[in-house]
Amino acid sequence: MTSVVFIVDDDQAVREALQSLLRSVGHVVEAFECTRDLLEHRQRMAELAGCLVLDVRLPGQSGLDLQRQLAADGILLPIVFITGHGDVPMSVAAMKAGAIEFLTKPFRDQDLLDAVHRALELDTGRRAAATALAALQARFDSLTAREREVMALVAAGQLNKQIAAELELAEVTVKVHRAQVMAKMQARSLPELVRMADRLSADGRGG
Amino acid sequence: MLVSNSPPNREQKLFALGVVAVLLGAMLLVAPFARNRLEGSEPMVLAYTAAVFTTEMITAALLLSLFAVQRSPAILVLAIAYLYSGFMAVPWALSFPTVVASLGLAEAGQQTTASIAAMRRIGCPLFLLAYAMLRRSGEVPAGRMVPAMIVGSVAAVAVVVAGVTWTILGNQDLLPVFVDEGRRITHVWMYVPIVALALYAVLIVLLGLFGRSVLDLCLLVVICALTIDLVLLSFVSAGLQFSVGWWAGRLYSLAAASVVLIVLLAEAASLSARLARSAAAERRAHEDRMVTLQAFSAAVAHEINQPLASMVTNADAGLRWLARERPDVEEARAALTRIARDGHRAGKVVEGIRTTFSKRDEDRGQLNINQLIRDVLDCYRDECRAAHVVMQTELDPDLPLVSGNRVQIEQIIANLVTNAIDAMRTVTDGERVLRVTSTAMSAGEVVVSVADSGIGLPPAHADRLFQPFFTTKPNGLGVGLTVSRLILEAHGGRLWASDNAPAGAIFHFALPCAARPAPFAEERAR
Repeated sequence: MTSVVFIVDDDQAVREALQSLLRSVGHVVEAFECTRDLLEHRQRMAELAGCLVLDVRLPGQSGLDLQRQLAADGILLPIVFITGHGDVPMSVAAMKAGAIEFLTKPFRDQDLLDAVHRALELDTGRRAAATALAALQARFDSLTAREREVMALVAAGQLNKQIAAELELAEVTVKVHRAQVMAKMQARSLPELVRMADRLSADGRGG
Repeated sequence: MLVSNSPPNREQKLFALGVVAVLLGAMLLVAPFARNRLEGSEPMVLAYTAAVFTTEMITAALLLSLFAVQRSPAILVLAIAYLYSGFMAVPWALSFPTVVASLGLAEAGQQTTASIAAMRRIGCPLFLLAYAMLRRSGEVPAGRMVPAMIVGSVAAVAVVVAGVTWTILGNQDLLPVFVDEGRRITHVWMYVPIVALALYAVLIVLLGLFGRSVLDLCLLVVICALTIDLVLLSFVSAGLQFSVGWWAGRLYSLAAASVVLIVLLAEAASLSARLARSAAAERRAHEDRMVTLQAFSAAVAHEINQPLASMVTNADAGLRWLARERPDVEEARAALTRIARDGHRAGKVVEGIRTTFSKRDEDRGQLNINQLIRDVLDCYRDECRAAHVVMQTELDPDLPLVSGNRVQIEQIIANLVTNAIDAMRTVTDGERVLRVTSTAMSAGEVVVSVADSGIGLPPAHADRLFQPFFTTKPNGLGVGLTVSRLILEAHGGRLWASDNAPAGAIFHFALPCAARPAPFAEERAR
């Protein structure tokens, strides 16, 4: 899956220059004049890996406002801010809200490219983690209710005998369930299953 | 404008006339009772003397401080007159028998009091005469001379008064017989009022006919009061000490001593109020200008920065397109094209700023630059006085008119004058002179020069002087000269700087003369 660099700057000249610079190092770039135009692509922004290069001072909604709105909407695209007149409070606010970088125009091209690179790496990593978690969740969802109970107790470190007593099952039955859990979750060892249970519970949906 | 150099207006003249009339009226009221003796009033002499002494000393001090600023020898002589009169009042009071007795001193001879009074009577008008003669003489050069002259004058007057007193006390036998055994004045005394009155008459003529300032008018009132005093004392009361007429004379003398003091104090009060008002107004105007300039420079910075940023980014992108394994010439070409376009855009911004200062052609008029200079300098008069800066002008009377925007040209002159004053604030040795000249040049230009005797132009800064945001002032924005130059260029003029001798800087600007209508054009048209 390719990643896209979204640019929002109201100045056409700056937009074109940024596009050219980013394309010259092989990025896929989409540029917009204002945040409203960008938000029409909200769906793709959620789906595609990428990052946002955002002018702070824009007509209509400002860059900082957009940053807040995207965060509220759960769109976690990393943001690189650029500004014609960077003042300290503004950059502090942007960085606190999770911006990757805050660059003052005119900036060194390497600074921008480095920031974009970091942003894309972050987003790719984040998306890979999200995909893996989704796959794990799908495997967990394929377990029966009894198997989930057994998995939770196994992950909690209980022995088959204890689980049998707890669930009022024969120890043999527990062993069958346990083998089934290991197979469905594609866990090669007990520690791996424990880690899977941890990640699922950290995500708030598992055990 | 000071009392010493501003001409009196109609109200002030009428008021002075009214005061003299009241004084005369009071004399006529007193005349019938003039020879009634007020028994036991002799100790009052001390209180009276204290009042006269204090009033005259304060007046002298104010006049000396006025001299320190104005450096007019006439003012110094006037201060000396008050010092002399005040100092002489002390031995005069101390020579009264009851006063001497109450202080436990040895009684002085009978002629002592009258002799001192005679010296005081004749001395004061002589000094006033010197003042009247010196009024038109030039200023004393500024520098260390002025404080030395002040201290020297005070010391000299004190020495003279002490010497006169000592001589009178030590040569009792040689003193003229001014009073007889019955404490009545003799015919010898009559020479004193006659000489004094003659001097007063000369002074009244001199100041009345040739007096030009409020101070001259005040002195006229003073002399009138002194004349009445002398008439009451010597003629109406027949020199009878402690009589109603004698005491009325004392009151007139006190009134005379107070006139100049009252006027000087009133002026000081109104001056300080005016100074505070104008300083506040100047500060407000300055802040307004700063806000405008700050908004203006922020806008310019943004407008220039955008194309600049895209030029830099385009250049970087072009380099990267060319640095690829297979250089992409088309992309690089596109980037270069965009750089050119952005350069033109930045150029348009600069052009826009230029035309902002020149586009209002309808605001342009035919300007009398001399009048403009005078108007601006009027606004800075109080500030100059506060900064001890002497203002000089040398305006070419045959200056042709100039076509331009009045507000903008005024702004330039004001800017240069402010700079000049600021440049002299730290000067402690030597004069602080602001000199504005206007000259008509044969090339069809009017050149205005603003010279100061300030810190001058440091050679290190010479080339940066007109650059935006360059300033040597702690709170300066560094746009004054830049904006001035932009305005002048929009008017087809020039702005430059040179060194002043022996110290300081001169800023010159040239403006082309307005196209003069051809002579007799009207006649020919008819």
